[in-house]
Amino acid sequence: MNKRMWRCFVCNDIHFGVKGPAVCPTCGAKNAFVLADNGEALNVIDNYGGTIDTVEGMVRVWEDLIKDKEFKLAEDREMVETLAKGELENMKGKGLKYCPCRITTGDYEKDLSLICPCNFLVQKTWKEYGECWCGLFVKR
Amino acid sequence: MADEVGKRTIWFMGRECPHCKQTRPVVERLMAETGVEITELEVWHNEENAHLMRRYGETISRACGGDLGVPAFYNERTGKAICGRTSYDNLKKWALE
Repeated sequence: MNKRMWRCFVCNDIHFGVKGPAVCPTCGAKNAFVLADNGEALNVIDNYGGTIDTVEGMVRVWEDLIKDKEFKLAEDREMVETLAKGELENMKGKGLKYCPCRITTGDYEKDLSLICPCNFLVQKTWKEYGECWCGLFVKR
Repeated sequence: MADEVGKRTIWFMGRECPHCKQTRPVVERLMAETGVEITELEVWHNEENAHLMRRYGETISRACGGDLGVPAFYNERTGKAICGRTSYDNLKKWALE
């Protein structure tokens, strides 16, 4: 898939995908996404901040994600925080918040599937035990 | 004394992996009760260990169901692997094979 950066020329929303959204999810403008230079798009994003670099921040993201979903966070808070710390370590060392319970293969494209949250609904552990590989997300 | 390279039973683990933490007492019990030597190698903070795990990657990822996950055990003598949470009895049976 040839994914690129797209910028809404009305509100500067940035989208990464094969094409821009037909309707801007932020300002509602129609057909307003224009192909953007990567550097330009990243510059716009950078100036909005949005770093998630604390355990509390990570957990907040996960808590938002699980709303109205068929899965929830593991009840063991210490475990959840340990995983958040691991992902922050991986962010520092490897540049992405990879799952601390798997390792990268060195194939960048393949390793993108290891960024947490991953698409765990297709994993064997989800089908067999109702949880993601590391046990962070569990079936309700 | 630790087994020599090429003949080891290796436990690949991650420092921040909760299942690895839960696996530790199982590993310790196995070593104490059977005398089996298990070499612990951390893979997220030691690239050399990660590289070794990737070398055994085909077998390990098959045992893990697709990815290179931890905790994973690899027996250098038999070329067999076991991956994910496992019971004491299961690990013992595998390690003594």
